[in-house]
Amino acid sequence: MMEVCGSSNVTLREFGCEQSLLSRPDGSASFIQGDTSVMAGVYGPAEVKVSKEIYDRATLEVLIQPKVGLPSVRERSQEQCVRETCEASLLLSLHPRSSLTLILQVLHDDGSLLSCFLNAACMALMDAGLPMSCLFCGVTCAIDADGQIITDPTAAQEKQSRALMTFAIDSTEHRVMMSSTKGSFSVYELQQCIAVSQKASEKIFQFYRDSVRRRYSKTL
Amino acid sequence: VHPPCFVQPRTAEPLEYHRSFLKENCRSDGRELSEFRATTLNIGSISTADGSALVKVGNTTVICGIKAELTNTTVETPGKGYIVPNVDLPPLCSSRFRPGPPGEQAQAASQFIADVIESSEVIQTEDLCIERGKLCWVLYCDIMCLDYDGNVLDACIIALLAALKNTKLPEVIINTETSTPEVNLEKKQSLHIHKHPVGASFCVFDDSILIVDPTSEEESLSTAQLTVVTDEEGQLCSLHKPGGTSLPGEKLQECISRATTRQREIQKLVDKVINSVKTAQ
Amino acid sequence: MPTDTKRVRGPEVSKSPSLYLSKPPVVLPSHGPRADGRQRDQVDVRPVFVRCGLVSQAKGSAYIEAGNTKLMCCVYGPRETERKDETDMKCGRLTTDMRFAPFSCPERGSWIQGAQEKDLSLMLHESLQPAVCLHKYPRSQIEVNVMVLENSGSVLAHAITCASLALADAGIEMYDLVLGCSIQQDGASYVVDPSYMEESCSSVSSENQGCLTVAFLPSLNQISGLQSDGEMTEKTLTAGVRTCIEGCYKLYPVIQQALASAVRKAAPPPSES
Repeated sequence: MMEVCGSSNVTLREFGCEQSLLSRPDGSASFIQGDTSVMAGVYGPAEVKVSKEIYDRATLEVLIQPKVGLPSVRERSQEQCVRETCEASLLLSLHPRSSLTLILQVLHDDGSLLSCFLNAACMALMDAGLPMSCLFCGVTCAIDADGQIITDPTAAQEKQSRALMTFAIDSTEHRVMMSSTKGSFSVYELQQCIAVSQKASEKIFQFYRDSVRRRYSKTL
Repeated sequence: VHPPCFVQPRTAEPLEYHRSFLKENCRSDGRELSEFRATTLNIGSISTADGSALVKVGNTTVICGIKAELTNTTVETPGKGYIVPNVDLPPLCSSRFRPGPPGEQAQAASQFIADVIESSEVIQTEDLCIERGKLCWVLYCDIMCLDYDGNVLDACIIALLAALKNTKLPEVIINTETSTPEVNLEKKQSLHIHKHPVGASFCVFDDSILIVDPTSEEESLSTAQLTVVTDEEGQLCSLHKPGGTSLPGEKLQECISRATTRQREIQKLVDKVINSVKTAQ
Repeated sequence: MPTDTKRVRGPEVSKSPSLYLSKPPVVLPSHGPRADGRQRDQVDVRPVFVRCGLVSQAKGSAYIEAGNTKLMCCVYGPRETERKDETDMKCGRLTTDMRFAPFSCPERGSWIQGAQEKDLSLMLHESLQPAVCLHKYPRSQIEVNVMVLENSGSVLAHAITCASLALADAGIEMYDLVLGCSIQQDGASYVVDPSYMEESCSSVSSENQGCLTVAFLPSLNQISGLQSDGEMTEKTLTAGVRTCIEGCYKLYPVIQQALASAVRKAAPPPSES
């Protein structure tokens, strides 16, 4: 079996995050992973259209805006992934018959975009003060031609990779909430990637904690 | 003696209704938790398409028609053709879909099928090139759901695979004098299918119980869904879990091993149907 | 054309291989027996295969196959109307939607509903409406969706038959079934239930060229829809309508049987024990 890199040395690019940077939305955040950058805005809980109303919980809508052009089928599939991940962590039943809207604007794409969407979404939801059962984070892993696992790959690394996987990991039990993959890979490689992602998620949650602490220490 | 029952438990408390079955390790339609519905396959029924297949997984019915057209290659990929898959969930198949452009579910399904084609390399786009830098085939794989009773993704993959195996492309020669293509409908060739990707979909009930091949009712009551696509070599082509409640690793392993057995069953079925059509001709 | 962002996109332009055939396609003869062995100038409809109640999710559904023409119809409703106009308060609304699958015709079609599909949907609506007791369904709508899986001619006629069968299968109250039949007039001779090839290529020279589709209520002996294209003399047209009605009567027993067997299946007769 191919030797995959040990899960001890998980390397991520430099992360950056800023919350409440927009004045109009109820919650906002920008998330930067290396050169990949996404801005997120959350509106709600607000009034919901009758056709979209759900009687026992809030309706969540996720809109992804690409850097240029109109959103296409790929964005729609990413929207579905982000939306269902958010739905699982948000306590939507506390706001029945209301609407939540999450808008994700791509500022720059340099790989690991879906994981950046997830991280930005989580920070924005946190900033909006919406009740959640757990936090989540996104981790992208690429398996290159030699079978090495690269976490948080750049666009160039993604292109050279044989397989690409993005997971959403929850903060309570570090389990896989969302999974989206490209390319073919073995079961062993999948397990390795999940293990690496779980390791990486600890780092990301630590980053969440640090950036929120920094923010509140400023305001207090 | 049972008390008189005025309300159908299924309509009033659907979740409780399903839970009462799951407690006994079975499902409301009599299946076991890891049992697929009967899958039937019919190929080549649409004569206007270059390849077609109709798949039924229980009540769920999906039809895939493939039309091949000629187009110019692009400068970036001079040696490659195109495969353009699209999934449609028309209002005909269920009352949950509205007329008009495809909704989120249909679009996500289209993207998923496109990803499966790319990841599994079921067809190599190089095979669709007729003359490098000039002419290539574009395969429009239009997949349509006719009856939506859950688990369309699995049905779509089977329909696509069977339709691709059924597709025959006419011979094209480029006339050297006029440099226009000439199509000879009498000489037709089957496509070269490199891999046989097959999917298996699961639903998670109450964050813990895993059921296979959900019906639409089970889908709507579940807390998470996932689809595992494997090929004949046991490689995973896709692990698609668009959110929902989280799943521990051992459950994931269960899904993968169920998916590999499903792959063998379906590949056998597809080969059997293809052969029976060949011998009938 | 604006780009379609809701579907997986292919190349900008692609052409059907039938445009580059090395041999010219066969032209159908305008006399003698027809390509599928049927007779000209006779009420020779293709044998039909019909089934009801195939779609589990729909209130009523029907599938019809006539030669290679295959279509399917699902009926949903009656349910609450989405649009609430004044007119809807007293009687129900019938909506029809007819579509061609992209692979249904020799040339690949678009996913987006074209003008032809809209026309056919409207024709279908007008043919069905007189047969449905809409006053029994106030403030509600009944949706009829037709999908053409393979187009081998006479689609509208078969769509009408299929849709009325699906409506009956859904238990919607109706005055009568609606049956459809069409003919293609080519000079002095005509073909009943034309195939796609017969519809698309006809000689240009003589007069009396046209296509006629009739929607017929067999037990009331009334016509609910009539569509005629092309130029025909009054005499030819009336003769054509009569031929179509005859064609409808040929279909009638098959349709009745399909409906009866669907009902029998839904509610089996009490066992004798």
